[in-house]
Amino acid sequence: MELERLLEIKFGYTSFKPGQKQVISSVLSGNHTLAMLPTGTGKSLCYQLPGLVLEGHILIISPLLSLMQDQVEQFKRFGEKRVVALNSFLSAAEKKAVMDRLSNYKYIFISPEMLKVPFIMKRLQELTISLFVVDEAHCISQWGYDFRPDYSKLGELRGKLGNPLTLALTATATKKVRDDILNSLGLTNVTKVESSIDRPNISFQVEGIPDYHDKEKRVLELAAQLEKPGIIYFSSKKAADQMAELLIEKGVCRTSAYHGGMDQNSRILIQQQFIHNQLDVICATSAFGMGVNKENIRFVIHFHMPMQMESYLQEIGRAGRDGLPSVAILLFSPGDETLPIQLAESELPAEQQIDWLFNKLLLNSDAEASKLKPELRELGGFSEQQWRLVERFLEPMPQNKIELEKLHETIKAYIRERLTIKKNNIYRMKKWVESKYCRRQAVLEYFDEILVDKPEPCCDLCGLDLQDYHVRSRAVQLAENEETWQQYLANLLIHSELRE
Amino acid sequence: MQQIETIILYCLKQLNGERTVFSIFHLLNGKKSSQTIQDAHLFDLKRFFGTFEQMTRETFETMIQWLEDQQKIYSIGQQRYRITKEGERQLEVQKVPEYINGWDFQPYTTLFWERLSLLIQVASNLVYQESTYIPIQKNKQIHDWVKAVLSGLNIPKREIGGAVLAELQACFDDCHGVNPSILVFRLSGYRQIGLTAEQAARKFNLNYYDYHAEFINALHFLIQKIDRNKRSLPILQELFRNIQPSRPLTSSAQRTWELWNQGSLIGQIAASRQLKLSTIEDHFVEFALHLPDFSIDSYVSPSLQKEILDASKEIETKQLKLIKNKVQTASYFQIRLVIAKYGVQ
Repeated sequence: MELERLLEIKFGYTSFKPGQKQVISSVLSGNHTLAMLPTGTGKSLCYQLPGLVLEGHILIISPLLSLMQDQVEQFKRFGEKRVVALNSFLSAAEKKAVMDRLSNYKYIFISPEMLKVPFIMKRLQELTISLFVVDEAHCISQWGYDFRPDYSKLGELRGKLGNPLTLALTATATKKVRDDILNSLGLTNVTKVESSIDRPNISFQVEGIPDYHDKEKRVLELAAQLEKPGIIYFSSKKAADQMAELLIEKGVCRTSAYHGGMDQNSRILIQQQFIHNQLDVICATSAFGMGVNKENIRFVIHFHMPMQMESYLQEIGRAGRDGLPSVAILLFSPGDETLPIQLAESELPAEQQIDWLFNKLLLNSDAEASKLKPELRELGGFSEQQWRLVERFLEPMPQNKIELEKLHETIKAYIRERLTIKKNNIYRMKKWVESKYCRRQAVLEYFDEILVDKPEPCCDLCGLDLQDYHVRSRAVQLAENEETWQQYLANLLIHSELRE
Repeated sequence: MQQIETIILYCLKQLNGERTVFSIFHLLNGKKSSQTIQDAHLFDLKRFFGTFEQMTRETFETMIQWLEDQQKIYSIGQQRYRITKEGERQLEVQKVPEYINGWDFQPYTTLFWERLSLLIQVASNLVYQESTYIPIQKNKQIHDWVKAVLSGLNIPKREIGGAVLAELQACFDDCHGVNPSILVFRLSGYRQIGLTAEQAARKFNLNYYDYHAEFINALHFLIQKIDRNKRSLPILQELFRNIQPSRPLTSSAQRTWELWNQGSLIGQIAASRQLKLSTIEDHFVEFALHLPDFSIDSYVSPSLQKEILDASKEIETKQLKLIKNKVQTASYFQIRLVIAKYGVQ
């Protein structure tokens, strides 16, 4: 069957988005494929559709549990029930039930940790894996902004599965990272489908603002003037809360904060309110955005500078999915780079903490030393994230002092290197903020691309008039909802057009 | 702060200066310790047990400070407070929420609400024939519950919405002391997403905790209403499916209960569980509180029971020390058993 027809019958779309068809054709011709497609191009279709043609199972490696959950739900919503997610969310009983009937699932999502479990690997080896999909493949590379050590083992695990046909997907990866992906997975003869990371309908503006207080004032202005809906990103939960509060107090727009500190039920409601146009603006941390498919977002403002260009592009990439003009505005005050540097440092254990820990371990008697004791985490003041890193290096625990001392040095070297990479990313982000020439060109250079067609408007340095993005009609008033509870409930439960 | 203030004032009045103010905090938090559970019974405060599970100690302290600043309560030392005339006046003007019953309903209030909100969302989308929407509840067990309920109904799918509406309207038809808006605007359906608790509090111009008190009051009203009218509410009564109204014993007390039923004596239980004798005694006090069939006669002779009760009534106190002074022959354990068994009546 022709691909377009399959697309229409199974998914109800009449045409592919740019890049999708090349990726699907390449996979269906049996070529290993590396696909770099911008966020919002529907990457999951690139393995879901081949699954309808290929015999055997599609195995999808995905790093984020919440993302995996979203994808499974989405598959189910569109009628594909032969899908399962193998991750730590499953209870022991559920896991057993899934493993017992694993061959019934066409699409198997799995986290890299689970793939390492020998029992699970054994079951997978019994199946025919017709496509091995690595989602968010940039996590493989230590040069990537989101390096996940578990991901670097994927090449080896792929080998254990008999080197199946492979599709590596990412949205934002520099050339260095893309090369790393191929090397790490051991792929040669690869078809590369690399769309430009450029989004011509999104223009850039960077504004220098003297201090925090002025930034708040500026956001109040922008949120009032700009065409909505929009997202404002913050690096701290507290700042997001405060700004949302301010916008509500001043009656600027319908808004709410969204961050990881809120309970799950509220987060779902707020995300859905935004999608259904019940909110104009979300004041969010980076926790917001994944799985939010909203076409008409008109602006993304950054109150704080992100930690690297890749995250910045992901976040502004949520604007203008409908192709209409949208604007990305970054507010920058002197000294703003210290916040991301602090964040980067807090993600890794400090050298003193590591020294303290190894000192403890060396003093322990052999009997005690065979396992890393969890109470050391609290005593040493390690955060959850920092402790995960320590655990990864210390499990299994080295059996003698010489090895332990060697490991001590290895960890310290590793931390120094990660920190250097992170700081370098921040430094490059700041360089971009301070650009003296076209911002779009500078973004493309970061990803080793050349700007061929400069859109108009482009960026503040090429000339940009924010007026173009202002609200056109002031007619929409924020009329207070005067509905009674009886009306509200009746509207929910009775279809008015069918009412007699 | 009106509702939550009134609730704290009410609790302080009941405590009568015999416990520290933090016993109220533990009560509102629903702390499953022997002490808190006994206090809830002793001072007739069961209905507030666990109704403010998310309140932090800091918030609670701020509220106490505020009440003191407003001269509605005054300190009598050692973290104990009494209410002032002004506090009494507030209690007369403003009643505590009528339907709240934390002890009986809190164990399944969240489940009840999650089921109700998913049921409404699903029914609404069925009415509008929408099949691709994001469920506002992620919990798989609640999804399974909705599926089971819907498949058991003998009405066409598109009429389920109307049927649920009729039942809800019947519930709220006569709802003195409850504002249905507090609950209804939190509900989601077809292309209409309900408010979060914070948003609803703002809509009704209420402090978060006052809103929460009203919300719990409305839910507990609904629970009681449905429970009493099961026959006329065939769909809503399904919200109770497979819910066991449980009287919580602490898990440790549960274990002691099992051993005692197998014939072990208090001392043996303490030894075999490697727990202090006083801990096992705590468990027995819990039995006296929660298990109406548990007889204390083998631990306190009926005549001593009477003596203790008389003393308690005479000096109008539940403070163990004062009772002990009057009834020298009784042990603390015996006094606690008696007060647990009969104290509230």
